[in-house]
Order: sequence, then structure tokens, then C-alpha cells
Amino acid sequence: MTWWCSATGVPWAWSWRPYPGVWLFLAVLGFLYQRFGRSTAASARYFGLGVFLLWVALDYPLGALGGYLAAAHTGQFMLIALAAPPLLLLGLRQRFAEWGANDAAGRPGWLRFLAHPGPAFLGYNLIMLVTHVPAVVDGLMASQLGSFTIDLLWLLSGCLLYWPVVAPAPFSRMPPPAQMGYLFVQTIPATLPAAFLVFSSYPLYSLYELAPRVTPALSPRYDHQVAGLLMKVVGDPVVWATMAVVFFHWANRERRDDLARVGG
Amino acid sequence: MRPLGWLVAAAALGCSGRATPEIAGDLTGAVLPIAAPRPSFVLTTTAGAPYDFRERTRGRLTLLFFGYTHCPDVCPATMANLGSVVGRLSSAERALVDVVFVTTDPARDPAAVLGPWLAAFEPGILGLLGTAEAVRQAQVAAGIAVAVRDSGRSAYTVSHAAQVLVYSPDDSAHVAYPFGTRQAQWAADLPKLFERWKGAVR
Repeated sequence: MTWWCSATGVPWAWSWRPYPGVWLFLAVLGFLYQRFGRSTAASARYFGLGVFLLWVALDYPLGALGGYLAAAHTGQFMLIALAAPPLLLLGLRQRFAEWGANDAAGRPGWLRFLAHPGPAFLGYNLIMLVTHVPAVVDGLMASQLGSFTIDLLWLLSGCLLYWPVVAPAPFSRMPPPAQMGYLFVQTIPATLPAAFLVFSSYPLYSLYELAPRVTPALSPRYDHQVAGLLMKVVGDPVVWATMAVVFFHWANRERRDDLARVGG
Repeated sequence: MRPLGWLVAAAALGCSGRATPEIAGDLTGAVLPIAAPRPSFVLTTTAGAPYDFRERTRGRLTLLFFGYTHCPDVCPATMANLGSVVGRLSSAERALVDVVFVTTDPARDPAAVLGPWLAAFEPGILGLLGTAEAVRQAQVAAGIAVAVRDSGRSAYTVSHAAQVLVYSPDDSAHVAYPFGTRQAQWAADLPKLFERWKGAVR
């Protein structure tokens, strides 16, 4: 029974396969959100978009290709760790704000702790680096449970990455310029695995080096190089997009304040 | 495709040949307990010329692999890895080694298919083909398990031995590389083989 995408060693075929574990996981996320996290229609849209991106990353075909191509595996990483988490957190932001405002005494200290840039930086990058170590990828991706673990760790790392930026006021005290600087610094460590993928003389991951080829045009080495390039050329702009959102949000607020002052 | 195990082939190889000399202390490849003599068979190149394997490769370092172009897993992975490493050898080193691929699926691997398929991995890889019987005899001569077509369907697979046999200038195979040998391992072992047989290669 295949419940989660992983590396199987079975020759690749462009034929749909069901992954019920993925559907169940996303359904549970949706149920929990509906039950405990939903606040406004806008927040529900953010959360829904985040769940949609997770579905694209985890289900056929991208999820299945993640067991054959390092480039697809990197695509999953970008969606799960970089693109979906800010949307999921935005969907929950109002709830966190209400929680923080109404129940200051019971507010978990660890959420405030993780809203500081230092722990978030260490947490995200530790997970990001460890889950790109060849021995870890080769070992975990060969089983459904291992692949599931990597996906969960990526989702957790993405939440750590964006929490200091998305967390509402009771939890986060970073001003917008610091948030942008923090996000920029967060993109730097990923250069390390990306550089190894691009410049290594030979493929890093035995899993992707020896996997059945999806297309003859993509040799294992090119596949690794594409993965490394994707990590920087596409992954960084995803984070930069969040920086842009922070900037424009900040600029709009400043302008409104200026107008209010002039008007007042 | 179900590649036949290395153990089967190793056992088959062990049926013939002479004692293995000191050769391969730290090679990644599996050192054969008993060396296998360079096999004798005549097939046809993708250019249409007859090719006497034993005569044409005598005294040379030769990497021999049996596979087929429709193979979904082992053959493209093996040839991609081998081709990538061999393709990055210096011209002097490249001249020391022959890479020979024999198709185990003559019906679907005519020269027009086999030649471009191999060239995509590395232009210098030599492709050999022949009748089903000639290819069968070549495998018997090499001491490996004979490939078997899995079913009668048009999109059939072929079970075949999955190791690369390495014949040395002493006209024996002392080492073989099972499926799963990585590019970095080939890149580490080929220079050792060149060093071991320095001056002996014809």
C-alpha cells in the first residue's frame, strides 16, 4: 500500500497514482483549521492557498517525481518550506493575535521565543541543512515514513523561518526593516547545499544518481545541477517576495500615518 | 526489469579462469575469486562491421556490459554513470580503455537505435549487436547469466546480468562492478586500474 510518495526504484511512468496519506494529511489540516483556526474569510483564503501549495508539492506528479529527480525534490522543498508556510501562518495570524491579546498569561513562551530571529534562524537552517545531507536524503527518501518525516520537517522549518515575520504583535517585536534584513540573511545558508549540488564533480545523492531515469535528457549530474540552481534562482525570490510584501505593507502603513497626521 | 544478481554471475565467472593476481586491494569493484578469461565472440558494430571481441580488445583495458536500450532502470543508470566518468578522462587516459555495450534485445536494438542511444552517454562507447543466438553465445562466453525476455507482450522487459566486467591487459577479468556503482567510485577506481596496468595496455 503506497500512502506517501517516496523513492521506490520502480521505473517512472506518467500514470496517475493515488497517495491517500497525502489527502488524509491535508484533510486533517483543513479540519483543524476549520475547527480551531478560522477567523475571517481573507485568512481562510490564505490558509486554503497554503494547503493547495502543499497538495501540489506532496501529491502526484511532483511528489512522486521527488523520488526520482533531485530537481523535483528541490521543487517540493521550495513549496513546502518556502511558499506554503507564510500563507498557512497568515491564515492563522488573527487567531494568534486574539489568543495573545486575550490570554497573555497563558500564552506559550516558546512561541515568543521562536519569534526572535536567532532561534528561528538556527531552527530553520539546522533542519534545511540536515535534510539536504546525502546520507539523510538517501536514507529517509527510500521509505514512505522517511519521506513523510522529511516533508514534515520542511513544513516545520518553513514555519520557523516565517514566524518572526508573520507572528502578530504580542509575539513579534521586530520592526519591518529588521524583518526584511532577517529574511535576506535567511537565504544565505541555503547557498551551501545549492553550491554543492551545482559544483560537485559527481552526483551527491546516490538515490537520484541510481534512480530509474525519468527522461534521458536529464542525466544525474544535470539533475543535481538543476536542483542547486532551483534552490537559489527560484527559492530565494520566493523569500524575496515575502520581503516585498513586508516592505509594501510597511510603506502603506507609513503613508496612512502621514496622511492621518496631515489630516489631523 | 529484474536484473539478475551479482552472485549468480560471480559464481558463473568462477567456473573458469586462472588465479587472481594481486591487483585490486582498494577497488570499489568486487574482486573475482578466480579470474575470468577474456571471452571470444564475434558480433557486429553499429557501423555494420564484424567485431571479434577477443582479438580487437586483446591486451587492453575493457569494460564490458550487457543490456538493452528499452531498459527502464539499470542500463541507462549504468551507462549514464560510466559515460559521465569516461567522458571526463583525459584523452590519454581515454585511449587506454574500451567501453563495450552488447545489446541483449537485438529485436528492438538495431544499429540505428543502439548507436545514438550510446552516443548520448559518451560518443566513444562501442555498441555491439547480433542475432539472438550470437548474443546468447557471447553471454555464455563471458560467463554471465543469459538474458531472458520476460513476456510475450510488445512492451516487454529483459532480465539480464547487471554488472560491468573489467578485462585487464592480461586478458582476464579480475574485477566486476555491480549495479549501484556510483560515478565517484568509477572515478576513483579507473585511475587505479590505469596505474596498475601502466605500460601493459596495448
